[in-house]
Amino acid sequence: MARYAMVMDTRACIGCQSCTVACRTHNNLPVDMMYNPVTTVGPTGVFPDLHMVHIPLICMHCENTPCVDACPTGASQRRDDGIVFVEEKKCVSCKACVMACPYGARVPNHEKGTVQKCDFCMDRVDKGNVPRCVQTCHQKARVFGDLDDPNGEVSKLVNGNHVVRLLGELGTEPYVFYILGLEAQIR
Amino acid sequence: MNRNVDLEQEGIVVKKSCCYFCHQNCGVLAYVKDGKVIAIEGDPEFPTNTGGLCCRGNIALLHLDHPDRINYPLKRVGKKGEGKWEQIPWDQAISEIAAKLAAIRDEFGSEAVATAGGTQRTDDWARRRFMNLFGSPNGFHNSHLCWIPTFMIETAICGWSPFEIDLGASRCLVLWGQNPGVSSLPEMHHLTEFREKGLKIMVIDPRFTETAAKCDMWLPLRPGSDLALILAWLNVILYEGLYNADFVENCCVGFGELFAHVEQFTPEWAAPLTWLTADQIRESARMYAMNTPGNIQWGPCVDQLGRVSGAAIHARALLRAVTGNLDVPGSDLLTGPSREYITDEEMEGNEFLPEEQKAKQIGSDKFKLLTWPGYSKIAEATKKIWGKAPTAEWMCEAHPPSVFRAIISGDPYPVKALLVSATNPVNSFGESKVVLEALRKVEFMVTCEYWMTPTAALSDYVLPIAGALERPTITSSYGCTDFLLASQRAIQPMYERRNDYNFWKDLGVAMGQGEHWPWETVEDAYFAKIEPLGYGTENYDEFVEWYRFHFPERQYQKYLNQGFATPSGKVELYSSTLKDLGYPPMPEYVGPVENEIDHPELAKEYPLVLTTGYGFMPFHHSEHFNLRSVRYINHEPHFQINPKTAKEYGIKENDWVWIETQRGRIKQRADVTQAVSPKVIVTERGWWFPEREINEPVLGGCMESNTNVLTSTRDEDCDPISGTWANRGLLCKIYKVDGKEGK
Ligand code: SF4
Ligand code: SF4
Ligand code: SF4
Repeated sequence: MARYAMVMDTRACIGCQSCTVACRTHNNLPVDMMYNPVTTVGPTGVFPDLHMVHIPLICMHCENTPCVDACPTGASQRRDDGIVFVEEKKCVSCKACVMACPYGARVPNHEKGTVQKCDFCMDRVDKGNVPRCVQTCHQKARVFGDLDDPNGEVSKLVNGNHVVRLLGELGTEPYVFYILGLEAQIR
Repeated sequence: MNRNVDLEQEGIVVKKSCCYFCHQNCGVLAYVKDGKVIAIEGDPEFPTNTGGLCCRGNIALLHLDHPDRINYPLKRVGKKGEGKWEQIPWDQAISEIAAKLAAIRDEFGSEAVATAGGTQRTDDWARRRFMNLFGSPNGFHNSHLCWIPTFMIETAICGWSPFEIDLGASRCLVLWGQNPGVSSLPEMHHLTEFREKGLKIMVIDPRFTETAAKCDMWLPLRPGSDLALILAWLNVILYEGLYNADFVENCCVGFGELFAHVEQFTPEWAAPLTWLTADQIRESARMYAMNTPGNIQWGPCVDQLGRVSGAAIHARALLRAVTGNLDVPGSDLLTGPSREYITDEEMEGNEFLPEEQKAKQIGSDKFKLLTWPGYSKIAEATKKIWGKAPTAEWMCEAHPPSVFRAIISGDPYPVKALLVSATNPVNSFGESKVVLEALRKVEFMVTCEYWMTPTAALSDYVLPIAGALERPTITSSYGCTDFLLASQRAIQPMYERRNDYNFWKDLGVAMGQGEHWPWETVEDAYFAKIEPLGYGTENYDEFVEWYRFHFPERQYQKYLNQGFATPSGKVELYSSTLKDLGYPPMPEYVGPVENEIDHPELAKEYPLVLTTGYGFMPFHHSEHFNLRSVRYINHEPHFQINPKTAKEYGIKENDWVWIETQRGRIKQRADVTQAVSPKVIVTERGWWFPEREINEPVLGGCMESNTNVLTSTRDEDCDPISGTWANRGLLCKIYKVDGKEGK
């Protein structure tokens, strides 16, 4: 069984938001909804001594899932390969998961009356493709794959670099890893 | 691509199409069923984008059938600009336009018909061909602001413009006024990759950009002071002995003159002009000259300095030459035009335009290099070495601001008709007030468009044009490189949209040019271009399906056996071509168009330095504002201002602020950021508001936040060599929009 993970290489991300738009198109989301905002930190410092970093956010596909635990109907689930998803027809939009997720990764769809989120494009992944946001990224700043495949790019990146997981102290054990480059150090 | 679309259903054909929303032409796979595109994605096998697509590429399907698209030929029925249109058949539109153009030609001469073009997403060779056959020399583009001055000046000096860079073997890359982090994403990816392998990258830009954030050295120079910096680099490189003595001795003429000429331009001299320290200037010059082979990548800013542009481009070309960074592995490459396929220039039919008509080209008496006098000289030299000339469309054009003025004043002669294709002049050409006056005044205007733009709204006919997925595309960087990338159409044009090629051809045929338009479809024309390559395919689509690209084998140091395409056969550090045209043979220093040293009085009233029109995601030039799906990312116009300055003026983040130059004022919202110096204001380009009324007098609010209102196109502010006008290094003042004026 695979353990899917995504690496965000902030050394390469330029904050172009192509991934955001691609995801929205792929998931047919209304204009005001997104699964993967890209936040820009900076420029920090004082002109002309500056730094800037872009941090793409998505669902962290946590190993310990406060969202799934909070869901009263069983709509929120975690697959064996680690993909966390919402089974829409079971979702009653009580928003318990929205409150529980420390990453703000879950968004209510007011048109459909459900809560939705990034599911690592499991429709594509199950057919052997990479997620839409990964494919669309010109900069190859997002890398997706099986963490258990020692020859895969994901495990090479995770093991060969200093990676961080957001809000690591919460113990959610996310499967999204961030590489922060030298110039990306947030002051 | 939408997850609800089943791509395994029967009857789907995958077409190798491309994205057309900027110059990159990223490869796209279009999934087509029953004549409809049901999904698209980036083509993983396309060499530049390898599956990537930016925001714009991803909304291609929304663009294809957007409710605002123009789908049928429209004829004005009310007053000009009133917004009353009648839908008419194409045949009627073509025959009426042909009749009107013929009447204008009979009364005022062919030169009374001008055309305005935009970015290359059109078959400009077809437009040129029509104009040549019609007899008018007065086609023009925005291209004066974008690479064309560079191309022609570099060609004058080195015999071709080194447009391609060889990054794999390069040790240093200078990005001069370019931000690939928003403007060419495929390129940006390569930069990141090569930098990891040790390539040093330097960004020269007043703004801390997406790209500057990822480079090894950033030089935040005073906007418009590029020339001073380049001259000082030359001084450092020559006087510290960092030049390539072999190359200079064997391949260049005029080194002695140049050596003497740049003695005066010390880093200490340049420091106050550029706002950099002498040390920064020395260090950066050394970084470039000591890390050879290296590249200086073109960026548009130097082409946008107005009267400084020509000398700055000239001086920058000399940097490459004295360091020997020309056509060796890892340096700027001189590919020349393709000798294997038929280039755009060969399709243009320039031989059809009589000499006496060439002589009438507007602006050719003032700005000689990018018009027939200079172009002819260059074409003669390049034909000797390469056998071919640069593309005339782009490189040999009427001077746009002078054409707009001719429309208004009738001087040097009346210009009565303007055919507009792929541009929205009010927002994209300089000094918008003048442009708007001209568009309101011109007797007859036809616009080929996707949308009702402020310009289209003032037209007599608006014609619906096919977009990326509805037309094939072939690109060889404006006919200036030797490779080509080809894409096919995914579907036939929807509704009554047509290719721009068909517009020019049909109009040409209606005006008696039939024998000169042998290609029925645009695919036929493209196939005629590539047939000499000998791939043995039956037609264009087959070529795309089986080969798609043509990359000739790279040859370096071609000058060793063929010389350079200049009159002397060498790189002319002392340029005979420029001298013969009446320009200084070596770059003389001139200050930015408006600056605090030469114009202290002006600087009192306008104390801040303005640079206009930077590119920003997700828009491209003045378009895509209609698309809600990308507009939400960047909803309103913003200018950049340093927090210190903002505080001084009582401006807070997001406040509406007036930005004013001698030419007028616009309002944009404040983006309070350390990215710019406290003395600098940087405005976004392109803005108009398709959500407003697009008729007179509102015209989509096209003057309100449009940075081109602030730019200058006076003859004396234009570059005497190339005619490019001033977008950078101007002086401005700012003040808050008061409550009543706000929205
Ligand atoms: S597409 Fe890639 S580079 Fe652009 S914002 Fe997303 S992750 Fe960053
Ligand atoms: S990021 Fe939020 S939604 Fe995603 S798995 Fe973790 S808790 Fe659940
Ligand atoms: S993995 Fe798929 S659903 Fe998740 S952010 Fe990327 S494109 Fe969106």
